Amino acid sequence: MPSFFRKMPSAAWVIVLMMLVFRAASARYLTLGNIVNIIQQNSILLILATGATLVLLSEGIDLSAGAVLTLSGVTCARVMNGLMSSGSSDGHAMIAGVVVGLLTGALMGAITGGLIAIGKLPPFIASLGMMGVGGSLSLVLADSTAIYVNNPVFSFFGQTLDKSIHLPLMQYLSMPTFIAALVFLVVWVVLYHTAFGRYIVSIGGNEQGARLSGVNVWLRKWMVYVTAGILSAISGVTLAARLEAADSIVGVGWEFDAIAAAILGGTSFAKGKGGIAGTVLGVLVIGVARNGLNVAGVPSLWQPALMGTIVILAIVFEVVHARWREAVR
Amino acid sequence: MIAGKLSAKWFAAARFLVLIAVAVAMAILTRSDEYGFVFLNANNLLNIVRNASILIIIAVGQTITLTAKDVDLSVGSVLSLTSVLAAIMLKNYGFSVPAAILAALLMGAFLGLINGLLITYVGLPPFIATYGMLWVLFGFAYLILRGNVIYGFPPSFRVIGNGHLFGIPMPIVVMLVVFVISYFVLYYTTLGRRFFATGANIEMARMSGVNVGRIVVTAYVISGFLAALAGLVLIAYTNGSEARIGDNYLLPVLAVVVMGGTSLAGGQGNLLGTLVAALIMAMIHNGMNILAVPAIWKSFVVGLLVITAVLADQGLRQKA
Repeated sequence: MPSFFRKMPSAAWVIVLMMLVFRAASARYLTLGNIVNIIQQNSILLILATGATLVLLSEGIDLSAGAVLTLSGVTCARVMNGLMSSGSSDGHAMIAGVVVGLLTGALMGAITGGLIAIGKLPPFIASLGMMGVGGSLSLVLADSTAIYVNNPVFSFFGQTLDKSIHLPLMQYLSMPTFIAALVFLVVWVVLYHTAFGRYIVSIGGNEQGARLSGVNVWLRKWMVYVTAGILSAISGVTLAARLEAADSIVGVGWEFDAIAAAILGGTSFAKGKGGIAGTVLGVLVIGVARNGLNVAGVPSLWQPALMGTIVILAIVFEVVHARWREAVR
Repeated sequence: MIAGKLSAKWFAAARFLVLIAVAVAMAILTRSDEYGFVFLNANNLLNIVRNASILIIIAVGQTITLTAKDVDLSVGSVLSLTSVLAAIMLKNYGFSVPAAILAALLMGAFLGLINGLLITYVGLPPFIATYGMLWVLFGFAYLILRGNVIYGFPPSFRVIGNGHLFGIPMPIVVMLVVFVISYFVLYYTTLGRRFFATGANIEMARMSGVNVGRIVVTAYVISGFLAALAGLVLIAYTNGSEARIGDNYLLPVLAVVVMGGTSLAGGQGNLLGTLVAALIMAMIHNGMNILAVPAIWKSFVVGLLVITAVLADQGLRQKA
């Protein structure tokens, strides 16, 4: 088999396969509008999945990402609404709200990271506990409903540009996509061009070795979770801007999509293998699947079951494929 | 070594002390001038044990999986899907009660088998495989019920939830049977020893001739089966089911198992500890209900309990 096929990531295979199936099911599938749509709808997931990738690279897992996403959206919306009702300008209220939202994420990440890096708890149990804590706080702070935000400056960061700039083609550009691209770029630089990034990979690859060669392992691990918390918060705040509301359960299950995207992109749990470029492909697998089910007119009732099955099968395929590639090399 | 044994014994005794302390605290907290010690009312205590029974049935399965150093995050969804399956067979398709019960239990075991195979043969980390299954199974439960709630089961089915045997409520009877059998299997059979051996050191177990893959799969099959059984008892008692009915069991189950002294590090299953911890958990829930603490605070409390329990376990293990 030509090496091109062997090198093609399994996520790419899955995407091609799904596109063929969905194209057969609906002629509206492979249009420019729809492809842009897929990118716009999944930008926020990419931000979350970037965080999940960093955590997986350090040989950890963060099941609290969805709850942190929700909670930071809620704190952001509450602070913003509070300031606006006491007379602050939209701009100031937005800045304060976003800062509080991001701090919420950093704080949750700092606690989860502290439990894992200093308390030596297994990551899945520490983050699962924090998922309970964060989910509960979101319900309490948002009174179990959604907090609506009426702030045009804030909403701008969740919209497509045709709402604010009246030029052709502006509907193809959206702020969440810009934010995701910017976040991706920053994380890329941090991961591949700073000492911190190399430490993350070295801890994931061989924690004992990293420690012996003088890496301050607990500090770096802790920083990974703080970073992941901030990335979850960026997703949450951007999502709140897009929906013009912070819902108290909006993030339930997002962590699974994010972790799945990272794994589908070739980041394997343990051994520090993988990277964030693959994660973009992983997010696309999820985005293409969800969009395809919609465009093909699959009833929403079927979607949770089908999405879950597709994702699990894709993960199984990725793992088996990776093993096969190792074997033939 | 002696210090280790002493502190393990101390830890076991401490659990009973915590049980008593929580009971006393709850009794005092919920006392009112009008009704006195409502918490210690015989009906209320029975209620606590009944609620704990469902938790214990699931947690016994989790204790066994953790003993083999694995974890099953899908228990809540297994419970939902199997109970929904039984419910719809009884209500919409007119199956007999034994057929519905058998189908749900087999389905539970089968879902456990899938979990086990994803982990042993595909090689996924346990929490990724079972967390993925959590969402898949919820999706199917939701699909089967079309997003609705289903309720009103035949009396012959409801017996397993609200009937009595020799004056003891059925959930407690079922729990005791499950507990006794599991206790025997885990501590007095070769299979039980193999769970411990696999969890303590999988390589060593493999080298001494244990088919570790089969042991891990067996643990997940047991866990799935027991989650299904708990679901049947639960819906027979509440007389209704829905796709999210099992969602709120995952965190409490993990909390209870770890509080009970079963380590996440594997090779240390403590079934009696699980039982005691489940009673503590049920008391805390019950007390919060009497005190009218809003339900939305529950996962906050349980989340903190999970973290505290694991931290305490870790701390004691380091000292020992």
